[in-house]
Formats: sequence, structure tokens, C-alpha cells
Amino acid sequence: MPGPHRRHFGRLTLDMRQHLSPWKQLGFLAASFVIGIAISVAVLDIAGIAPPTLLDELAGTLNADSLRAVLVQAAPLVLVGLGASLAFSIGFWNLGLEGQMVFGGIAAAGISIYAIGPEPARIVIMGFAAAAGGLAWVLLAVWLKLRFRVNEIVATLLLNYVAMYFLFHLLYGAWQDAKTAFPQSTPLRPFERLPDIEAGVNSGLAIAAVSVVLVGWLVRVSRIGFYMRFIGANPGMAKVIGIPTRAVTIGVVAASGAAAGLAAFVNIAGQEGRLTQSFFNGYLFSGVLIAFLSRNDPFAVAIVGFLVAVLYLTGQTLQVFYQIPFTIVQLIQAIIVIAVASSEFFIRHRIRWTR
Amino acid sequence: MSVALELAGIRKSFDSAVALDGADFSVRPGEVHALLGENGAGKSSLMNVAAGLYAPDAGTIIIGDEAVTLSGPADARRRGVGMVHQNFKLVKPFSVAENILLTNRRPRYGSGLREICAAVRRQADELGFSIDPERRVDTLTVAEQQQVEIIKVLVGGMNLLILDEPTAVLTDAESERLLETLRRLARSGTTVVLVTHKLQEVLRHADAVTIMRGGRTVATLDPAATTVAELTELTVGRTVSPPARAETTYGQTRLNVGALTCARGDGRIVVFDLSFHVRGGEIYGIAGVSGNGQSELAEALIGAREPLAGEIWIEGVGAIGETPAAARRTASLAAIPADRYALALAGGLSIEDNLAVAKIHTGAYGPAAFVDRRAMRRDAAEAVASFDVQGVRSTRQKVALLSGGNAQKIVLAREFSRAPAVVVAHSPSRGLDARACAVVHERLMAARDRGAGVLLISEDLDEILTLSDRIGVITRGRIVAEFKRPADRQAIGRAMVDHA
Repeated sequence: MPGPHRRHFGRLTLDMRQHLSPWKQLGFLAASFVIGIAISVAVLDIAGIAPPTLLDELAGTLNADSLRAVLVQAAPLVLVGLGASLAFSIGFWNLGLEGQMVFGGIAAAGISIYAIGPEPARIVIMGFAAAAGGLAWVLLAVWLKLRFRVNEIVATLLLNYVAMYFLFHLLYGAWQDAKTAFPQSTPLRPFERLPDIEAGVNSGLAIAAVSVVLVGWLVRVSRIGFYMRFIGANPGMAKVIGIPTRAVTIGVVAASGAAAGLAAFVNIAGQEGRLTQSFFNGYLFSGVLIAFLSRNDPFAVAIVGFLVAVLYLTGQTLQVFYQIPFTIVQLIQAIIVIAVASSEFFIRHRIRWTR
Repeated sequence: MSVALELAGIRKSFDSAVALDGADFSVRPGEVHALLGENGAGKSSLMNVAAGLYAPDAGTIIIGDEAVTLSGPADARRRGVGMVHQNFKLVKPFSVAENILLTNRRPRYGSGLREICAAVRRQADELGFSIDPERRVDTLTVAEQQQVEIIKVLVGGMNLLILDEPTAVLTDAESERLLETLRRLARSGTTVVLVTHKLQEVLRHADAVTIMRGGRTVATLDPAATTVAELTELTVGRTVSPPARAETTYGQTRLNVGALTCARGDGRIVVFDLSFHVRGGEIYGIAGVSGNGQSELAEALIGAREPLAGEIWIEGVGAIGETPAAARRTASLAAIPADRYALALAGGLSIEDNLAVAKIHTGAYGPAAFVDRRAMRRDAAEAVASFDVQGVRSTRQKVALLSGGNAQKIVLAREFSRAPAVVVAHSPSRGLDARACAVVHERLMAARDRGAGVLLISEDLDEILTLSDRIGVITRGRIVAEFKRPADRQAIGRAMVDHA
């Protein structure tokens, strides 16, 4: 039995917060991010990379060359992040971002392989084709959901495999590069590559930036964004109040797939230069991660996408020069996610010491 | 032991919102003590302090002559204080016995469960409840779930039972039975605290009544020596009169329902071939014991449920088909569903968003490409002021932070802002205090006087009788009888039961 002496110690009490200003919320987020980084540094220390070395490497990432590499890597990450956040914000769990990238890539490469359209316009046609490819692939899952009530998590996730094996079918068959005999398509022609906006940084970055602004306008300023908030918060009520939930859902999810298709386009026409069998690998997890950390806000997606790109490239450097396994990079991603996720608790609750 | 429970100078705030501001409360052993007050007066908060759920910021808690600091509900239970909350704390897919085992731990699961089953049967017999301890909780009715909660407290050997708004979810007959049971419990030595805002319950069943207003306790009285008028004045600060009824001439049919058949989520058909009409300038009341198809009927009318068959015509517009919700909106239907947070509000979004959502498609808040937040904010501030919504610090705050009555005012402000031709209201004053209730009734009456057709579906017979021009009685998904105003309460009651 607790005796009266307990009273001397006081106790921790947990209160629900009614309201917290955005700046304080940001403060909690930043603090938890820093804590996540601190834990990651400790993990790397154990793995044999002392903090000073790490700092050197990070500083290395900050030179102009590495910054260019980061920006190139950030473009497709931001685009899949936008794709994920669009669908998630209305409660459609699109876990088929990789499948949509695959079909975006196939569409773009197909335009090149069959040389469709005049040469000067080719790259633009490829971009639209990629968006249409991703869009078409996600609409298949939307149709399954609306027509047969197939859960979209299952449908989108499994359709990734269908897309992947269809890609393999092409790359080991009709589209295989005759010269190298590797499972990859013939390289894109020079005018089918994204032009550089600056030496070493291709215009994929511009595509990502424009997409961020467009999506930002859509969700923050437009009436559709207003509807999206209601569909995300309470779909039943949204329907009763007369919001065209079906049309908005189809449109937004289509945009989500198109963003994934564009990510594939930026990756293939920007970095890879051809269709490979692994160009989409890891983007599903990264897209979900970016959407989660940015709370589906398009401008935050841009920032988080950039940070994840830094993490990718630092990880690659550590891998090459310090023989750190790639799993450590994934571990660090996970640590940061958990740290940021727990900030939610402190934003919602207040812990007080009472007597 | 002169007091069973005493709370003195209790203060409690949540963030900057003060819920309790120096409340005092004292209960003698073996009495039924009513705690009366409006929504948001602090009744539940005060009792949550007594039950160890909230730690007070200041004040003392005395249980059985000993000043205590409660470390949590389990600590309160050890000291004999148990609470039945308004939203039951039961794990739905588990059995009654398992739920009770959860709060009354036994060292071994198997033998513990057998012990609990025996104890539940004994306790249920004593109270006259028919509860099978092996039934799953989700197969029980609301009234039965409440009985489980009461048994849970008593099986744990607690001698002070706090019930938060226990009759809010019960029918007249069920409430009567419950209150008699509570009286019997008190006679056998259990102390009962009854949190309520129903004056009749207080006058007929309580030994003492404490009244709360604005986070403070304002008086403790003997119910035998007081009147409804005095209690009302103490709780509300002024007396509330039923809305004035103007003479109207009934206009054309505004809402016409023909041969409507609806099924529940599990496929069972609960509304059968139901037909009625509501004319302009009248309130058509649908009375009945809850669970006779009212929810499904209301949901079908407001567009939350697709009927299996039949017709719904709102202002001559068919409201079943591809885009029923939009059709309803164009026909200017005001929907006030029973479950606000499921069908009328997005709790996580702001007050201004929830107010603007019904009108935004008209372009009232800017073109499709640009939502005019300023206009939205201005209208929201106006609506909040004209409906006297309390607890609003900013129209950007989440609706979920408002108390029940104030959230309902937001729904009313939105739905009545468009001068509706047809109003569908289902239990619009459930869980609201006298003043918020009066606002709801005034608005319904005003809509009627203006010539709208008002459908009022309610399990509260008093509400139906006060407001309706015509009354239909629903039993097992059918309208079994219709009455014209002035209707005979006894006759309606008989119709409700006869066909059951």
C-alpha cells in the first residue's frame, strides 16, 4: 500500500495539450531530430567511425561536387516523397510507388526505343509518358479498390512485383541491349537525356522544384486541397457534406502515381541513362519515410528529401571507404524516423512534475 | 466515518483551459448524491479527480477520513472508489468475465476467470441483472454493457460508486430500473454519486444534490426541499422556457420517403418498406425506443447509407443514385446526425474549416484555385458569436476541443446558415445541457416557422412531444402509428411497446 511518505516525492503527471504553437512544434521536431542524429553518431562510433572522422566526411559532402551529387539524388526522392504524401494525406495507402516508377520508366524508355515523336520534343514526350505510365499503374489499384473493394495496401504492394517481373521480361528479352548483353536497355540518345541546368546538375531538380510548388498550391491554396483535408480527416462526413470524395480521391491518387512516374523519368533520363533492372530499388521505403517525416506537407517534403539524399550519399561514402555495411545506413534512417515519431508524443502531451 | 468522500478546493486546468476552479464536494456514506450541472460545468472532471484519473493541481481528497494522494485509478479502486464512465471502458471482443478480470486481477488466469464468473453471477442476481459472464461484450446492448460496468465496480469490493451520466444512453424504462437499483444499492450501504443534468432524476432519486457551474460547486441542497425552478436557476443561471410555437399553415410536401428499405452494416434489414412525408411548416417527429431502425433511417436520409430499395425525394429532387450527397445539398437539406464526430464534423480540423465546408463549393470562399481564408475566418467568427459558442479561443482551433454542446452549435451554425428547405435531425440534443438544448429546439422551431419541413428523430419522448406537429412511432423499422398534436403521451408509449 502506498503510504503517506509518498507525498514527499511528488510525481510525474501527463496532460493532453490543447494547443501548441507551430514554432514550438517545430522546436520539438528539431530537438528530436538532433537526438536521432546523436544516437546515430554513437552507433557509427561503435561501428568504428569516430565522430571527428564522421565530421570530416560530412564536411566532405558539403563541397560543391558532393552538393551537386546530393541535388541530383534529391530530385527523384522529392518526387516519390510528393507521390507518397499526396496519397497518404487522403488516407489512400499507396505502397506501389516502385511499381509506378517501373511503369513510368518503361513508358519513357519505350518512347526512346521506338523513337516516337520529333527529336527536339522527344525528352518532353518521354516525361509525359513516364507520368502517364505511373498514373495508369496506380489507377489499376484504384479500380480494384472501387470496383471489388480490394484493400489498396495489398493491391499496390503486390502490383509492384507484377511491374518488376514485367520489366525483367522486357530487359531479358525484347528490350535487352544487344551490344552489352546485360539486362538493360540500349542507352538513351543524347537529346533524350535531361539537359543540365548547371554543370553536373540536371534539370530533374527543376522538375522536382516545380512539382513541389504545384503540389503546394494544390494542397495548401486550392479548393481541392481543402476537400482533401476533409477526406483525410473524416471520409464519411466528407461524403455526407457533399464533397465529391470519389472524384477527388481518384484524381489525387492519379497524381500520386504520376509523381512516381516522373521520379522514374528523372532517374532514367537524368542519372542512369537507360532502363536498368534496379533503378527503382529502395524508393518505396524512402518515399514513405519522406512523407512521414514531412507530415505530408509538400514544402517539408522538399527539405526532408534533400536530407535523405545527404544521408544516401554519406552512406555510400562510408560504405566505400570504411566498409560499413549498407544496413547501417538503413539503421540510421530508422533511428531518425523513431526519434522524430516520438516527438509527436511530446507535441500532444505535457509532462509535469507535481507535488 | 462521517464522510465517504470529500473533495476540497480542487483545481485542475488543461493547458490554459481551467476545468475546475476551487470545487468542494462531500458525500455521506450510504447516500445517493447527485452532481448536477451543464455540459462543461466540470462534473466529469471533478469525478475523474475522485476516481484517480486526473491529478488535481491543488486541493485535498479525503476518502474515508484519510487525506490521500491518488496515484491512479487502480489506487482509487484499492481505496474503494470505482467509476462508471460515460464512454464505457470495455474491451469489445472480450467476454464479460475477461473484462472484469482485467480490472480485478487474480494471480492465475484460469481459476481467476472461474472465480470472477461466480462473483458476476452472484452480483447480477443480487441486482436483478441478467448478465451472462461468458457473453462477448460486443453482443450486449448498451444498457447491458452499463450493467457490466456496475458489476465490475461492485465485484472489486468498492463501496463508492460514481456513475457519469448513466441514463444518457438508456430509454425511460431502462433509466427507471437503473435508478431503482442504485437506490437499493445505497440502502445496502454502497455510496452512490450520480452525475447528471436531468432534473427529474435528481428530484426523484437523490438524497442530496450538489450543483456545479463554471468549474465551481455552487450549492448543496436537499432535493425534497427544492423545486425544478430553483435547480434550473442554479445550474443555468436563468430559467429556460420551451420555444414559442407560432401558428403555421402547412405547405407543400418537402420531404417524401416512399417504401424505404435499409440494411445495417451486417446485412440485417432494419428499415422495412417505410413511408412518410413532411410538409413545409411542420415538425414531423419520429418516436421510438432506440435500435428500431432510427439510425439507419437517418443515415439514409442524409446520404451516409445507401438504401436497398425505395425512394427519397427532397424538395422534388431524387436523393438516391450516383451523386446523392450533392443532390441533397442542392435541394438544401440540413443534416444534424446523432453522431456528430462520425458524420457532421471532422474533429481534427479547425472550426473555420468545419463551418466553411458546406458553402465552399458555391464560390463563397474564392475561386477553385484560391481559397479565401480571410472570408472564411470572418464568417466563422460571426457564426461563433451569433450561436454563442463557448470555449473558442481562435476559429483555427480544432473542433474536437469543444465540449459536446458547443460542437453541436457549430453543426447548427453551419447547417442553418443556408436557410434549409428540409431539416433532418436525429437526437439533436442528446448529451446537451439545458441551455444548449434550448438553442437546438429554438433553431428547429424557427426553421419550421419559416416554412421548412423538419424531421425530428428522437428517443427522447419529451423532446418529440414539445416540438412535433405530427408524430410517427417507429417500431422494428416500420411506422406503426401516427398522432396529431396535441398527442397523448400514454398512447404513444403504448404504440412504442405494443408492436415490439
